[in-house]
Formats: sequence, structure tokens, C-alpha cells
Amino acid sequence: MGFITKLAFKNLSRHKLRTIVSVVAIAFSVMIVVFARGLIVGMIDSLSADHIQYNSGHIKIIDREYYEQERLLPLNYPVDGFDGQGLDEMITGLQGIKNVKMVIPRLKFGAMVSTGKELVTMSGWGVNPEQETTFTNIEDYLVEGRMVEPGQLEVVMGTVLLEKINCQVGDKVTILYNTAFSSPKAVTFRIVGRLESGLKLLNEFVFYLPLDQAQRLLDMDDQVTELLLVTSDQNIIPRVLPEVKELLAAQGTADRYLALGYKETSDLIPLMDIMKIIYNQIYFFLVFLSCIVVINTMIMIVKERTPEIGMMAAMGLENKEILQLFVIEGGIMGVFGSLLGAVLGSVLTSYLAEVGLDYTSAMSGMSADIIFNAIIYPVSSVGNTLFAFALGVIIVTLASIFPARKAARLEPTEAMRGI
Amino acid sequence: MALLELKGVTKIYQQGKIEVPALRGIDLTVEAGEFTTVFGPSGSGKTTLLNMIGCLDKPSSGSINFSGKQLEDLDKKTLAIIRRHNVGFIFQSYNLIPVLTAYENVEFAIRLINENNKNEIKDRVMKILADVGLEGLEDRKPNELSGGQKQRVAIARALVKEPKLILADEPSANLDSKSSEEVLEVMVKMNKELGTTFIFSTHDPRVMDYAQRLIEIRDGLISKDQRRESKDVPN
Repeated sequence: MGFITKLAFKNLSRHKLRTIVSVVAIAFSVMIVVFARGLIVGMIDSLSADHIQYNSGHIKIIDREYYEQERLLPLNYPVDGFDGQGLDEMITGLQGIKNVKMVIPRLKFGAMVSTGKELVTMSGWGVNPEQETTFTNIEDYLVEGRMVEPGQLEVVMGTVLLEKINCQVGDKVTILYNTAFSSPKAVTFRIVGRLESGLKLLNEFVFYLPLDQAQRLLDMDDQVTELLLVTSDQNIIPRVLPEVKELLAAQGTADRYLALGYKETSDLIPLMDIMKIIYNQIYFFLVFLSCIVVINTMIMIVKERTPEIGMMAAMGLENKEILQLFVIEGGIMGVFGSLLGAVLGSVLTSYLAEVGLDYTSAMSGMSADIIFNAIIYPVSSVGNTLFAFALGVIIVTLASIFPARKAARLEPTEAMRGI
Repeated sequence: MALLELKGVTKIYQQGKIEVPALRGIDLTVEAGEFTTVFGPSGSGKTTLLNMIGCLDKPSSGSINFSGKQLEDLDKKTLAIIRRHNVGFIFQSYNLIPVLTAYENVEFAIRLINENNKNEIKDRVMKILADVGLEGLEDRKPNELSGGQKQRVAIARALVKEPKLILADEPSANLDSKSSEEVLEVMVKMNKELGTTFIFSTHDPRVMDYAQRLIEIRDGLISKDQRRESKDVPN
């Protein structure tokens, strides 16, 4: 360690309380950066994951007309295979594309249950249970009972939906719906499971039933409303999507079916990507705000030590060495403050990554169409912690250049007189 | 060859629109090893003269030759390097760094010219501290030392790099008579042992008693330049 660095360390011990206040200010802002960044990453990850699992897969194939009316859950625009070949052949063809790991069929339809006093509207999802439990985290949300089984007239519902229809697991429920030919029907199912999650959609509107039963009851044999493609890695979607479109075109169905990447079916995900960039700028200003404390401290230090700076200049210390001394002092505060903030932020984020932050009541008014988990789990990562640490050190060190330049520019004769 | 040679040195300060002459044309030659006192009333130009000699300031006109170098032609960085190697300063208010021990304050001066040889640095610092009578007080910080002891640290700091010239601005102003005597005796002893040139700026008659040469400054001009036998220092 050079003598100037040693002197810088010792100088910071002159007014310990003042140094501690500066270090704490830096630590606080860096801690907020670690936490806020973890929270944003957690929100984006959760938003993407939930959207992929419960809406779009990595790539979603639907009928073009269905896409226009998706909110109405129409049954007259199904996905029923390439012309004349059937759904299984279509799935086999899609699975033949490199990096496509799974093709998940879903049949979604509108339904109602009468409680005697009112009609409760809901959305039925005919699914292949095995694929759903493999691809989604539905089993984590299954707090009571089990998932539906193929061939059985069974449903799984969310806790709030069960409350609305005054039922519980083990009860039977009669569900009203229209078939693909618009014939109203009613079928009684056994409730075999209860879901509870931060997703309003699953809690309040959706019930799962086996795909084969949904197809039979809706008169939609070998038909679904959407096919979800799962790739080995969501980062390769831009490579896989053109191949899917090529296959649809090669089969002459490009005019009928749409293949959409998961970002194309969400308004929120592209928005969050923009927010991520905006937040990165906010972090910069947040740390810079704490630098004002450091700058203020260092201006006071320079003022107090003016005669001493003059003495050092008289002894032959060059301007750049005086600058170096003060920048090192700022840098040391930056390193210690950022280190403390990074550690505290990391501990806080890691803790909240375990327990989650529950915004259920705050998001109660949000539309169920927006698949957004009200329980957010911030993401604690080494990269995030290092980013915040480096941001703190760099900005604080740079900020200390301003008062350091003031010190370095002092004329020794005037400085010694304390001017 | 003379250590210092000033020819027609003037210094004019600008205070708003008014020009204030501090030095009006100083001609002065100082030989190596001299123990000189510059005295005169406040505002006469003593400190300005010392600043010129100590490479801290440049003259408005005239020339200063320091050990063969014309100072008026040099930039700030070069002047800093000359100060670092050749000039030691002793200040009225000591100007020690409060967070450093006596040893570290002295070490600071020598570290500027010798970064590497730690053993040599230690030997030199310990020797000079012993020479100024601070043996055993190396680890004390300035606030644990008396005024006289602080000034001894300042002298050791100025001497440790073995400069050609030491400039002392009112070195006894904050000291009592006893401490003042002790500090002056140390400086005379160092002058004799090391042959270092000392130039004082002072009002203090006790300091003048030790000087071999007395230079009086009045209104920015040398009004008297007298060489004489100085007070002897007991060994």
C-alpha cells in the first residue's frame, strides 16, 4: 500500500461520525439498488414465466380469427391440424422441428355455474394433465386434492372460484357451457383439487378438466383452441419461430394459423423490458444522490484541511498526487459503503426471495386477463450484487473528483494561509 | 558557487484594480551553509521573499537562480519537484498531519523522494528524530506532543530529506522561551552538522541572536544586510 493510500485511510478516521454517515448513505443507496434490481428482475422473470406457462408457451399456434376474438373464447376457430391430416400429425410435425421439446394442446371455453342466486362465469381449460404438470408449476399451486386425470369427469378449481360457487374439494358441481355447435349443455363434475396462487386468473376464473373430456363434451374431437410449443431455451425462440412459420407455410396453413413468440402475446413483457432500462438509469441517479453526501463531506474536508494541503504542496506534492489523495479517500468511502450496501441488499433480497412479497390486495383490482403473480419473489444474484457494488464504487469515486480537483488546484501560498 | 542568487526581484499582487507591490527589486545572494534571518515589520515582504526563494511563487520580474536553475522559467510541476528534493519548510503552526505519528510525519517527507527502500527510510527517520531529541516519542501523534516537540518533528520532517535549503517562517512564534531556545539550538546544530542552509523569517530577537547574517526588509526592499558572529550552541 502506497503512503498516499495509507494517509487517505488515516484521514478518514479524523471525523469518524462524518465518515460513517457518508458510508451509511452510500450503503443505503447501494442496498436499495440491489433490492430494487432484484425485485424488478423477479417481477420480469415471474411475469415471463407465468405468461409462458399459462398463456403462450414459448410459441403459440392459434387460428387467425381466434386471435382476433380470443377474449370471447370462441370454439369455431379451432386448431385441428394441417389440412386433412388431424391434430396428432400436426403435433408430430411441430415436434420434428429442432429444439422444440414439447407441444402442449389446450382447449379453452367459457362456462358458468349457478349457485341458485347467481351465475358465476368461468373459463374451462381442457388440458393434458401430464404435460401441464411437467411444463407449468400447477402442482405447486395445488394446495388440496390432486390434478385431474384423463378419462374422468373431474375438475380442479381455484380457492376464490370455489368460494364463489360455495363448493369444496370432493363436492360435485354442474357446469353449464355451449358446445362448438352452440348447443347449451350441463355436465356434473367432481371437484378433485383446489388451487391457490398469486395468479388471479387461476384463483378466480379457471377450472381445469381433462382434454379428452373437454373435446368430447364440446363436440371438438381432435380439436383444440391452441397449441403451445416449448423450446429447450427461451433465448432460442427467435431461431425456432421462423422454422415453425416455414412448416405452417409448407403445409399450406400459413393463412390460417398464426405462430406467435411469447413476447408478441403480452403487452406487459415488452413494457417491462423498457422499464428495466429506465430503472437502470434510476439506479444511477439513486447512487448519485448519495454522492451528494460524499461531495458535501469532501468539500468540508478540503476546507478544513486547506492549510495542510498547502503544507503538502510546499513539501513538493504535485497537483495530481493531491488529487489522488482525495479521490482515494472518496474511493475508500465508496468501497466500504458499497460493500456494506451490497451485503445488506443481498441478505435482504435473499430473504425476500424465500418468503416473497405479497401484493395481492394491491393488485385485487387488476384484470384477471393480465397474468401477473401478485406474490413477487425478488431474484438475488451475484451479478446483481456485483453490479450495484461496482456502480457505487465508480460513481462515488467519480463524484469525489470534483472536491479533489478543488484541493489540487489550491495555490500553496494561499492554502497555507487558509484562503 | 552561491546557493541562491536573486536579481531585481519584484512581486506585485493585484487586489481588484489596485496593484500592491510586495517586493520592489531585491538583489540577494545566499551561500550554501548560511544561517540567515530575514526580519522586518509586518507587511514588509518577508513572507513573499521566502515564498520566492522556496519555489512556491514566481516573481513578477527579475530572476532567481536556485542551485544553478532559473526558477522564473519553470512550470508548477518542476517547481514542485525542486521543492520536494531541495527545500524544507518549517511553519509557525507546525502544520503536522494530525492523524500521523511523529515517525509517520517525518516519513511522509522522505517517502516523496524515496518510495522503495523501507529499511533505509526507517534508519534515516529514526536517526533524525533522535538528532532533534525525540527518541522514544516516535509513536506519538501531534496532539500527544508539546509545542516544542511538535516543532522538533517539523524540523526533523524538513531535514530528513537532506535538502539544500530550509525555510522557517516564524518558527518560534508559538513557543515559550524554553521551547524556543531548544528548537533553535537544534536548528543551529543541524546547520553545523549537515551544512544545511537555513533562512528564517522572524520578528523574534531570540532567533536573531543565533543568526550569522541579518537581513532587514522594509517596504519590499532590503534595508540592511549584516553578517556577524552568532550565538554559540552548547554541544
